[in-house]
Order: sequence, then C-alpha cells, then structure tokens
Amino acid sequence: MNWRVIPLKTHDAATAMALDEAASEAVRRGGPPTIRFYRWLPSAVSIGYFQSMEAEVDLDACRKLGVDQVRRRTGGGTVYHDHDGEITYSVIAPESFFGKDIIASYNLICGWIVDAFSQLGISAEFKPINDIVTQGKKISGNAQTRRGKVLLQHGTILYDLDVKRMFSVLKVTEEKISDKMIAAVEDRVTCIRRVSNATRDETYQALREAFTKDKDFYEGEWTEKEFAYARELAETKYSTREWNFQR
Amino acid sequence: MGTASLKVSGGKMINARVELCNGSIISIQFTGDFFLHPEELIEVIESALIGKRPCEDELAQTIDRVLQGHNAQLIGASAQDFAKVIMEASQ
Repeated sequence: MNWRVIPLKTHDAATAMALDEAASEAVRRGGPPTIRFYRWLPSAVSIGYFQSMEAEVDLDACRKLGVDQVRRRTGGGTVYHDHDGEITYSVIAPESFFGKDIIASYNLICGWIVDAFSQLGISAEFKPINDIVTQGKKISGNAQTRRGKVLLQHGTILYDLDVKRMFSVLKVTEEKISDKMIAAVEDRVTCIRRVSNATRDETYQALREAFTKDKDFYEGEWTEKEFAYARELAETKYSTREWNFQR
Repeated sequence: MGTASLKVSGGKMINARVELCNGSIISIQFTGDFFLHPEELIEVIESALIGKRPCEDELAQTIDRVLQGHNAQLIGASAQDFAKVIMEASQ
C-alpha cells in the first residue's frame, strides 16, 4: 500500500478534528491510508469523547487566553495543545492494516514514535494503555477510534511543557495550582526540551522519518473534496455546542 | 441525584451521575477518560440501565450483555468497574 503523508500544518481545533474525520471517510471509501502532522493555532484544549467540557475545562480562562476547545471522536483524557509546545500526528488507515487487537495496534503505532525518539537520543517505551514514557515520565499521549472499519489514531508529542499555563485552562482549583502540585505534575510528565537538545524541526523530521520507515509513501495534500467536507464538519459539528458539550 | 467517581487501578477514570426513583434508575450518564469501541455504544449502555435496581452484579451483567451483543470493547475499565461506580452514586 502507498501511504499519503501530509506534512506539518497548522489548524484551529475544529478544523484539526474535522480533517481527521474527513480523512477517515476518504479511507472508508477507498482513499489512501494517511499520516499527517499538525500543530494547533490558536492553542486548544481537547477533551475525550466521553468527557464533560464543563467539568474539565475552565471556559472563562480559555476565553481570556484565546484558547480553543473541542471534543474529540476518540476516548481518553483532556489535553492542552500548546501551539509551541507540541507536535500532533494522526494515522488513518483501514482497520485491517493493524488487526483487531487494539492495544497491539497502539503498541505498533507508538513504536514509530519510540523509534523517532531513539533517533533523537531519547530512550522511551510504550506504556499501555496509550502513553509513551521516558525516564518514567509521560512524553506522549495517544488515542484511537475505529469506525466503519477505519482506524484513526492521533496523539501528541510534547516538545515543551508549561504546567502552569496548562492548569490555567483546565478545571483545577486555585490551591492545586501550587508549586507543590506543579512539581507533582512535572514528576510525571516531561517533554523533548527537558530530555534532549533537539529542536522542534529536528523532532518533526525524526517523527516523519520513523513514521514512513519501510513504507511506500508519497508526500500529498488534502483533496478538494476532503477539505470541503472537513470545512463542513468543522462548522456543523466540531465548533458546535451540541457536539462539544454533549456530556 | 448521586454522583461518584472511580479511578480504575492501572486504568482510567469513570464518573457516573445517577438518578433513582422508587429504587430504580431513571437517569444515568457516564463521563470519563476510558475507551469504548464503538464509542456511540455508551448511550445504548446507559439506556439498558434505565429501570434497573442498584445491584452490582446485575448491573455488570447488563453492561456485559450490551458489550457482547455489539462485539464492543471497553479499554481501561470493565463492566464491573462501571457497576461499582453506579452503586456508589446510588448510595
């Protein structure tokens, strides 16, 4: 199979999630399996499919800071996607490429990230269910859905980490935004900048290389049809209260 | 209306909001960072629990039946974990 690789782009939250769904629909109809890399502008908070926006996100703080919010098609937890602090990827392909075993497929795709880290001199490992850790700390979170026999896995690679800023847009009590609490999070989570001298571009290049290793691929773009469908989804689904505040 | 949360050991968080009337569930909603494939099945699970009495094993069996009937997979939590949260929210 010939993978389409869509190079690093920047999107707002609704469009980022809409493109994942549009690409999934394209794969369902026989389109190319796709690997894409992206960043979020403005920075955004995404919540898992089963989470409550009101319970997880400080909406007033988001408004003040100009931070977007979106609910994902995937389960999992709340993620703060800082424009400068992370690189996000999606893999969209027929489910048959990866088999029925969901954890095994996380392991396989997360293995590509582990390989990229290895190129950067970072020793990391997949930690089920859906994390990648280095030196015992989380450095990447991932989430997967399978609909219509199409697998979508997306995830974030933490490049930089500002726990205080992250807490400021989440529903965390004032007392918890203490130095002690911040230190506790910094004990569990890390980022590329804290474990390597790699630049963001070097990190992206390593990811791109590891994701495409031993694959037939071409550098591609969204089709007009996909992009039009994504724009429609962004407008009628991912930016609506009905979707984002469903739970 | 009762609420409860459970952080599954080595797994995910489940929150339940449960409303009982005459000892039976009349409204229920789960939130959390667990994974369920297919995701939309959560609403089928919630509907299947309406009218049930808070008995942990029976609730777990109801959830398991829905999962098996739809060839679904829960990841990071089990049907029994969901039943436990309902029990706690029903106190």
